[in-house]
Amino acid sequence: MLISADLINLVTGLISFLFTLLIFSYVLGDNPLFRIAVYIFVGVSAGYIAAVTWWQVIMPRLVYPLMSAIASGNMLDLGLMLALLFAAFLLLTKASPHLSGMGRIVVAFLVGVGAAVTLAGALIGTLIPQVLGTINAFDMTFVSGKDIGYFIEAISNSVIILVGTVLTLSYFHFGARPKADGSMRRLGLIEALAWGGRIFIGIALGAVFAGVYAAALTALIERISSLINFILELLGKFQ
Amino acid sequence: MRVITVFIVTLSGLAILSGYFLTDLFPVLAEVQTQILNVAITLAGVAMLVGIFNLVSVHTDKVRRSQKGGVYSALLVISLLITLVLGIILRPGHVAMQAVVNGIIIPTESALMGILTISLLYAAIRLLRRRVDVMSIIFLLTAAIILFGSATLPFGDIPLLGDFARWWSQVWALGGMRGILIGVGLGALTTGLRVLFGADRPYGGS
Repeated sequence: MLISADLINLVTGLISFLFTLLIFSYVLGDNPLFRIAVYIFVGVSAGYIAAVTWWQVIMPRLVYPLMSAIASGNMLDLGLMLALLFAAFLLLTKASPHLSGMGRIVVAFLVGVGAAVTLAGALIGTLIPQVLGTINAFDMTFVSGKDIGYFIEAISNSVIILVGTVLTLSYFHFGARPKADGSMRRLGLIEALAWGGRIFIGIALGAVFAGVYAAALTALIERISSLINFILELLGKFQ
Repeated sequence: MRVITVFIVTLSGLAILSGYFLTDLFPVLAEVQTQILNVAITLAGVAMLVGIFNLVSVHTDKVRRSQKGGVYSALLVISLLITLVLGIILRPGHVAMQAVVNGIIIPTESALMGILTISLLYAAIRLLRRRVDVMSIIFLLTAAIILFGSATLPFGDIPLLGDFARWWSQVWALGGMRGILIGVGLGALTTGLRVLFGADRPYGGS
């Protein structure tokens, strides 16, 4: 029996309407309806992620190549796939408290790869571009031939960015020396720079807060409008 | 065992890093890096399944022991198993699975994000009541300036506020954000190096 697209849309809309209301009930405080929605959401999301992992990672990268290696009889491919299968089996032992030690080697491999990717990503994706961005802000070729006012504005903006970057980094400098009374304190200069850094951190986090708040507000408006639209559509269907 | 695990971490990490930085000298390293990453992706997929199995086992245990909130745990396990079985039988692209995504996952995520509006507003008010110092005032002022400067207000734009908000966020906030990003980058770099050299062993083995 084929289910019509209209019916699927109606059921999807109804479930979506219900879950939105259950989540919005949090406005009245933490309550069982909100918890029901959240626990079902976590369960469904985890189940969906597991299904996606199964079909998009495990089957095409482990099961199909293994079957193909068995069918072709290529001993090298078969050996490699069996080694991967064995590693996957060792990793599965992490699910059992008694056998979890067996999976340590595979976890070590994953940690090594993850650490290297993170390290390279931090260097290539964050540190070098941010440092270059700070340096390139002083490249004044784009104001050549323009009014002196443009030059002053561009250079003062670049100086503010540079000062902000240095002061913020000073805030994260935690090197300290022991005092005569045994307490640990940062150098006076670093303390002063760090105080300025707090101002810039406050501004940066305020900007992030504004961005997150604007995104949350957009989501709220979208949900409220979807609730209204669903009710209007439902009323239209029964008229 | 400890020596073996540290050796594996260092070897796999260096193989990946050499694929990033030494491919001009040894082009074969790029292929080695790709193969290692493929194996890591497959094993990360298996690790994901182990994690989900752990989630099921923790909540099943709560139900079995009749702990507080066991009903919610039962709902979680049932919804997880139904979605997983349907997803494996029908595949994630099936219309029923897409209905699950469009009917439950996306609306709930969006509604939770919407609820954040109230939580953030409440947090901002609490911040003003509990801790009035330079940092919190600058934080809230910046947030207000950027929000009102970028929003379309019913009575029209506030004169000069839009330009000021743009300058404030693109110059002053950028300076602070760049410092934070470089700090995070340096932190990630040192943590990565500590793990690669075996000083930190998050995979176990003291």
